[in-house]
Amino acid sequence: MKTFGKSLAVALGAALLLAPAVSSAAEIVVKHAQGETTLPGVPSKVLVLDIPSLDTLDALGVDVAGVPGSNLPPYLSKYADEKYTKVGTLFEPDYEAVNAAGADLMIIGGRSAAKYPDLSGMLPTIDMTIDPAAYTDNVKANVVKLGEVFGKQAEATELTARLDAKLTALKGLAADAGTAMILVTTGGKVGAYGPASRVGWLHKEMGFKPVADDIDDRFHGGDVVSFEYILEANPDWIFVIDRDAAVGQVAEGQAAKQILDNELVAQTNAWKNGHVVYLDPASAYIVSSGYNAINTLVDQVSEAVSAAK
Amino acid sequence: MKLLSAAIALTIGLAIVSLFIGASDVSLSTLLSGQDRAVQVLLASRIPRTLALMLAGSSMAIAGMIMQMLVRNRFVEPSTAGTVESASMGLLVATLVAPGMPVFGKMLVAALFALAGTALFLRILRQVKMRDVLIVPLIGIMFSGVISAITTFFAYRFDLLQSLLAWTTGDFSGVLRGRYELLWIGFVLTIFAYIAADRFTVAGMGRDFTVNLGVNYRRVVSLGLGIVSLGTAVVVVTVGMIPFLGLIVPNVVSIMFGDNMRKSVPWVAVMGASFVLLCDIVGRVIRQPYEIPIGVVVGVVGSGIFLYLLLRRRANVA
Repeated sequence: MKTFGKSLAVALGAALLLAPAVSSAAEIVVKHAQGETTLPGVPSKVLVLDIPSLDTLDALGVDVAGVPGSNLPPYLSKYADEKYTKVGTLFEPDYEAVNAAGADLMIIGGRSAAKYPDLSGMLPTIDMTIDPAAYTDNVKANVVKLGEVFGKQAEATELTARLDAKLTALKGLAADAGTAMILVTTGGKVGAYGPASRVGWLHKEMGFKPVADDIDDRFHGGDVVSFEYILEANPDWIFVIDRDAAVGQVAEGQAAKQILDNELVAQTNAWKNGHVVYLDPASAYIVSSGYNAINTLVDQVSEAVSAAK
Repeated sequence: MKLLSAAIALTIGLAIVSLFIGASDVSLSTLLSGQDRAVQVLLASRIPRTLALMLAGSSMAIAGMIMQMLVRNRFVEPSTAGTVESASMGLLVATLVAPGMPVFGKMLVAALFALAGTALFLRILRQVKMRDVLIVPLIGIMFSGVISAITTFFAYRFDLLQSLLAWTTGDFSGVLRGRYELLWIGFVLTIFAYIAADRFTVAGMGRDFTVNLGVNYRRVVSLGLGIVSLGTAVVVVTVGMIPFLGLIVPNVVSIMFGDNMRKSVPWVAVMGASFVLLCDIVGRVIRQPYEIPIGVVVGVVGSGIFLYLLLRRRANVA
């Protein structure tokens, strides 16, 4: 009896001690590219510098308070509205604006990942940078992660399932579509993008056969190639990223078409059969790993390849 | 004369090598066996590229030589006197204001900016009292720095930094039949330079000397400015910037043959052409079938030769 009372007391004491922990059961621990961040609850005022995350939050139906002040893709142009605080460029946070916003979460990634140390000292920050080695899995994982942070688990499950179905369908199409080449055009010049590039998952994960396995992906403009190279590689498909259009310099598709439309490229199987796909520039170059962006790209490619069957 | 014929023969040799290097299989045997593709690649890609290399190389070298005459300093060339930077600024302005403008229009805008920038540089030089050999290029480099800083600022504001880099890195990979012909303007300018060579030689001896000989100094300077600016703009717009070329070639020619421009114009043109041909061949061979832009190759080779010339001159002065 005495021992029971004692253990009851201990249990009660323990319960009291544990109470604060229990009351903070709503705490959310987010594992991200640069560590772990603990949030006291579902964040209500969110700043986003990572365009892919903004894109995914948009798909999840999460409202944000702050967005990048530049390079918003056309389909996310509603965020250019004044009611969204502009918290910097894709690369540089505007620390004054971030500080003044009084937000309870900052989401960075990719181009802004290097600013993590500064930002995490100011407010809870998570880095949603994608690991290109498992691209589409990472995109889905990020959808799930953001779904958990904002209590949108059901939506996240639905979105990832929908994307999964599309990816599986595209894999089936890609297997016997022949060789494909990803080209990037900028300032009148052409470069080749390889499996490690922004849309390299088309090769690595969807299974489009690359024309060469030694393309160097360290450069913005791709590996410099001549039109002769494209002629010799003779791809069955050409996926074009118009960099100038992506950064808003020229009208979409115009510049890329002008550069590629010449007598050498015209002899490739891809050009002859009309298998040149001008990828949505903003989705392919600026956003790339956001949910809407990857859906747009998968739809574009699937549509073109299945139409060719 | 014999020597010049040898140099021309060397250039022709390099041009022939250049014709047979590239991603496609173009060789005597494929051509002689009448393969359509080899013939087409030769006509559409190889010959235009080789011509573009020679035209760009000779116009940049000539522009450098004229500039050195006008400024009376060996260490000045379009890319150290703000001409190239001004042309890039013009190109940026044209792109921002009228993105759909045809290439010819962009070139004219670039040429106007180059003209204004170079004229401003000459004006600044006139204010400088102490004209030590190294002061002039130093002012030129600072002036270029200021102009390129302004250009970079606007490129940054409008998210065009990487595009600016793509335009200004010299690169012949995009040259095809129908896409390089503006460079022939450079050829015409070279002929002008040859015709006016004696005047430039006189002007190179200074204003007073020129006026004493009854030559219109202002007119000669304007003509020189025009050739330099237009030549630079044509090259920057079609293939990008080829650094150091206008510096190295005229200097080497001057070391070999002195400063009589009538004599050196053909030499500068021929050596400019062969230097560019050689650098582009190197850039194409290193990572075949991919390419290293010629701006990078010339930059590496050129900065080495530039340093050599600089140190050599210093040793002479001391």
